[in-house]
Parts: sequence; structure tokens; C-alpha cells
Amino acid sequence: MQTSAHALELVEVEKQFGPVRAVDNVSFSVEKGEFFALLGPSGSGKTTLLRIIAGLESAGKGSVHIGGRDVTRKPPYARGIGMVFQDFLLFPHKTVGENISFPLKMKKMPAARQKEQLDWVLELVRMKGFEDRFPNQLSGGQKQRVALARGLVARPDILLLDEPLANLDRELRKEMEVEMRRFQAEIDIPFVYVTHNQEEALTLSNRVAVMKDGRFEQVGDKLELYEAPATAFVASFLGLNNTIVGQVTAQEGGLSTIDWKGIRLPVPTPEGVGVGDSVQYYLRSEKMHIGPLEDTPEGADATRLAARLRDIIFKGQYSDYFVIVENGEEMVISDVPDIKGITIGDQVAVSWLPEDGFAFAAKGDR
Amino acid sequence: MAAQLRLTRRDLKAMALSLPGALFLLFFLFLPLVTIVIYSFWRSENYTMIADWNLDNYITLLTTRTYLTFIFRSLVMSLSVSFICLVYSWPVAYFIARYGGRYRLILVLLTAAPFFTGIILRVTAMQQILGPIGVLNMFLTNMGLAPLKLLMYTNYATALGLVYLWIPFMVLAIYLSLLTFDFKLLDAAMINGAGPLRAFIEVTWPLNWIGTCIGLALVFIPTFAATITPKFLGGVNGALYGNILAHQFGATGTWALGSAMGVVLFAISSLFVYIIFKTVNLNRAGYTGKLDGE
Ligand SMILES: Nc1ncnc2c1ncn2[C@@H]1O[C@H](COP(=O)(O)OP(=O)(O)O)[C@@H](O)[C@H]1O
Ligand SMILES: [Mg+2]
Repeated sequence: MQTSAHALELVEVEKQFGPVRAVDNVSFSVEKGEFFALLGPSGSGKTTLLRIIAGLESAGKGSVHIGGRDVTRKPPYARGIGMVFQDFLLFPHKTVGENISFPLKMKKMPAARQKEQLDWVLELVRMKGFEDRFPNQLSGGQKQRVALARGLVARPDILLLDEPLANLDRELRKEMEVEMRRFQAEIDIPFVYVTHNQEEALTLSNRVAVMKDGRFEQVGDKLELYEAPATAFVASFLGLNNTIVGQVTAQEGGLSTIDWKGIRLPVPTPEGVGVGDSVQYYLRSEKMHIGPLEDTPEGADATRLAARLRDIIFKGQYSDYFVIVENGEEMVISDVPDIKGITIGDQVAVSWLPEDGFAFAAKGDR
Repeated sequence: MAAQLRLTRRDLKAMALSLPGALFLLFFLFLPLVTIVIYSFWRSENYTMIADWNLDNYITLLTTRTYLTFIFRSLVMSLSVSFICLVYSWPVAYFIARYGGRYRLILVLLTAAPFFTGIILRVTAMQQILGPIGVLNMFLTNMGLAPLKLLMYTNYATALGLVYLWIPFMVLAIYLSLLTFDFKLLDAAMINGAGPLRAFIEVTWPLNWIGTCIGLALVFIPTFAATITPKFLGGVNGALYGNILAHQFGATGTWALGSAMGVVLFAISSLFVYIIFKTVNLNRAGYTGKLDGE
């Protein structure tokens, strides 16, 4: 059987809530030791999918396999899964030690072994010495660590995480991202990590699935998704984008010229698009350059627009430049800070290579 | 010193706000209680109280077999009724809180609906059902079966009546507790290997123990003091402590002894509540405030 090789495999899973199809024909697999991210906007069905894997929600159709076993009809407590919830869901009446040992106690593991496992996991999440505290005596980050420890302590076949960092503040989130990767590398248990934060998904995972309206838009290596988005949604969801919509006025070679509210731009021709069709063009801000109007440093293929600099937001290693181009639209460019002394209000030039953006046939045209 | 005694406007406001509560406690709890405690050390003769301080009432109460029997009977009755109410109310309250959805409030009010008719009517209704010529036994005799002797003027009938009477309190107490209970914790328990029963024992029960205790107290106390229900449903041989107590203030006119019985009643109820709430450890009940010294 080809299923036996996968740590987790979903086959054509579906879930309907009244009129809402929360999960729509989803199939994918996760391999041993993999960090798999499920990325999608709120309401796209990520939690529902995770709950189906966990057995907390029944799949309307399709099957779930863990380590080659078909667990579709198994209750959550018989699936050998660990899970970390967005709101932690620690037991408020149990101490940190009791919370973490809970899965071991349910397995009726001998006390000595329990102690061993508890010590190991407390060490892993750096919570030694907190065993006797109650959850209400912990900070948000500490609760998070305890929740992780509880999910990992029984060494489950797979760990599911539902937006585990969403309730933490920014600083803590950065710190926990690093920790999360460390845990996963150290224990070699596959993680299925749900988030609506593209940065988190791209930082943490090996592979990413982008979800929308219950369906997978694209699954693949994170670089592949970033550099070669398969759909307009994926292109728009990953990275900081300029969205340009225009109609094709001419085509030549692999390029189409579109009319974007009076500005003509060359874009790569999307499949099946002809003159008169409308096109969505996504341009990552970091692929673009900005400079004084009089400079002409870029190659002959580059697209170049004159613009007025409206604002600069300093981000450390780079800055976001907000400009107004000649048709009155705003664009954002990420470039090195402090470029040749340009300041707010200046006339500037923005440029990019047409093939650095992603063009798709606009939905519902003609 | 003088400066410390000056009251600020805030203090005055706080005192004014606490006044209704304080007056309530004074007139409806403290004063009657003090009166009864004082009377219990007096003597009654020919329907009058004589301020002749002594312990005779208590000695009589605690050494006479009959009185002790009634205390014991009422204790067994109260414990059983509380227990039955507990077992019956949990599933009802749980169902309403978890699956009642937007009908929750209506469902809870429905369990209390019989209360709208008043106690006497409710107990009389029970009598109509359980008594010798009641619906139940008429049905049985019409079917050619023997009437249910067990439920005709016995303590069992009283117990049934009391359970019926106080179940709404227990349901309400548990329901209110479950309203603040996060059912998602059960997902966490199940994922971590607990079956439904285990999850209930490990999570639901301890986190709703305070609410359950309140329910137990709300059933135990009125049951121990019950007079009407045992009178109507228990009949002549089914008298409980409350009936004997009421008797002292009626026919016999032994008010002093009655007062002592009242004090004992109060003491036993208080002891029960004390023991029940001794089992509450705020941490173990999921109390979510910060603890001292943290
Ligand atoms: N128990 C439920 N009953 C009805 N609809 C639900 C339920 N759970 C989720 N949904 C619906 O399913 C869709 C997906 O929800 P969810 O899986 O929570 O998305 P996400 O986690 O990506 O934000 C939403 O439209 C949501 O309203
Ligand atoms: Mg969600």
C-alpha cells in the first residue's frame, strides 16, 4: 500500500455545515519529520480540517490515515495524536505537572516512566521548576509552552497546532517561532501547523498548503509557492503585493501589454488570455526598485514608471516606500533604506522586470 | 486619632449601599436566630415563656430516643433526597447547558414551572397521584393489580415528593455552573486520551463541584426542615423532624423545647454546608483569580 509510507494522509475529505462546505475534497499527505503548514484566511476551513484529522469532527466523506492506519471511524482518544489549541485549553484545576502528564496518565503509564517523560518534556520546553503552579499563575508564553509540552509528552505520531501563536504578542511570537522549529527538529514528530499568518507559515514550515473556501489552492514546497504561485489567490496571499488589474491591448512574444487605468505595462501572458481580456498582475514589493527620477540604472527590459514619493516606513534592513504613480494609483516598493537621499514629496522612478510579477486571467471576464 | 475617625464621602456612600443588606441580615437572620437561641435556654409553662436559664431542653432532645430517631430519620431523608436530586439533575442540566442552544433559558424555566403553582398545590398534586385513591393506584387496581403500598403514606412517598419539589434548585445550580464551564476543555481531554466518562470525571465534575455543592445545600436544608410534604405524603407514621418541631409550637405549646429543636436544626444544616464546602479547594475547582503571594 502506498498509504503506509505517510505519517498522515487525507483522501478526498469533505465536511458540510448546513449550507457551508467547510472542507471541500481535500487530499494531501505529510511525511515523517515534516513541518507542514496550513495557511489560509479566517473562515477558510483550517480549524475544521484539523478537527477532522483529530477526530473531534467527523468527516462527511473521505478518509484519514495516520501512519498507514485508517482512523476515519476512530474517536480522538484512540488516534495517538497530540494537539495544541489556539486558546491553549489547559485544565485550570490541574497543576502544570498534572496538565502535562495527563496524556500519560490516560495511557496508564507507570509512575516512574511518567516522571521520566515529564522531566524530558519540561527540559525541552524550558519549564523546569514550574510543575506545581496552576495555569492562572503563568504568563501567556508559559501557558503556550505547557500546551506544547502536553501535546508532545506522549510522543504522538503527529502533532496538530491550531494557530498556537495567535494569542501571543509580537515579541513572544518571534521567540516562540524559533522554539517551535527547535522542538520539531529535536523530536522528529511531524507537525501540522495551522495559521493565517503567511510569515509564520513561510518561516516555520517545509511545505505549505494554501487554503481558501475549504479547498486547497496549492500545496508544495514553500519556495515553490512563493516563487511560482499557481493561482491568483496564492500570489495575492503570499508576500506584500501590488495588485494591478488591466485589459490586454496587445500581445507580442511571451508578453502582453495591459492598460492599467491609462498606464501601459508589459506583463507575462497568462495562459489562454487574448487581446481584450482582463488580467490581474501581482507584483511583490521586494522585487521592485526605487530611485531618483534622473537615474537610469536598470536593464533595457525593465518597466519604469515616474512617481511621487508619498511616505517611507523604515523597517530596519529595508524600507517600504509608498508612491503615487501617474494614474493616481498607489504602489509600495521595498528597497534598501536611504536611497540616494530621496525624501518624501520627491519625484522618483520605480522599476521592475515584467517577469518578476505574476499575471493571471481575471475571474469572470467576458 | 480624630483624623483617622473622620469618614470620607466614599465611606459614607459605601455604608449607605451596604445598609439594605445589613438590615436584611439583622432583621431576618440575626434577630430571629438570637431570639430562638435565647428561648432555647428558657422554660415554657402553660403557653408562656419563663426566663429561667437552663440546659434542660437540650438534655431532653439529645437523650430522648424519640427525638434522636427523628433527627436520624430526617438526616437519612435529607441525604437520600440530595443524592437522588444530584444524580437526576446532572444529566438534565448538562443536556440543557450543552445542547439547549437558544432554548436554554426556556428549558431551565420549564424545570421550575411547577413552582409557579405554590408548594401546597404541588404536594397535593403528588398526593393525588400517589395516594390510596390516587391516579397511580387507581390505574393499578383497575388493571387488576395490587395497589402500590410502598407509596401510600410512607417515607418513600415523602422522599419522592421532596425530590420532585427541590430538583429545580439542583438543576438550576448545576446549570448555572455549567454556563461558565468551557466545554472545549473536553476536546483537550479527549485528544489526550480520555474517553467520555474519564473526561467527565477528570474535567467536568471537578470544575463544576462548587455549583454542585450549592445545589446540594439548596436541597438538603429545606428537606431537613420539611413539614408540609411529610405531612401530606408521609401520613401519620411518616412524620419527620420538622413535623415534631412544628408540633412544639402548636398543640403542646412547648416553645422552649421547640426553640432548642430549631437551634439543632440550624446547627445540623450549617454543619452539612460546612462539611460540603470544606471539600472545595479553590485551585482544584478551577478558580481563576491570582492567588496570594504570587
Ligand atoms: N460547528 C460549526 N457549525 C457550523 N459552521 C461551522 C462550524 N465550524 C465551522 N463552521 C464554518 O465553517 C467554515 C470554516 O470554519 P473554520 O474551519 O473555523 O475556518 P478557519 O479555522 O480557517 O478560520 C466557516 O464558514 C465557519 O463558519
Ligand atoms: Mg480557526
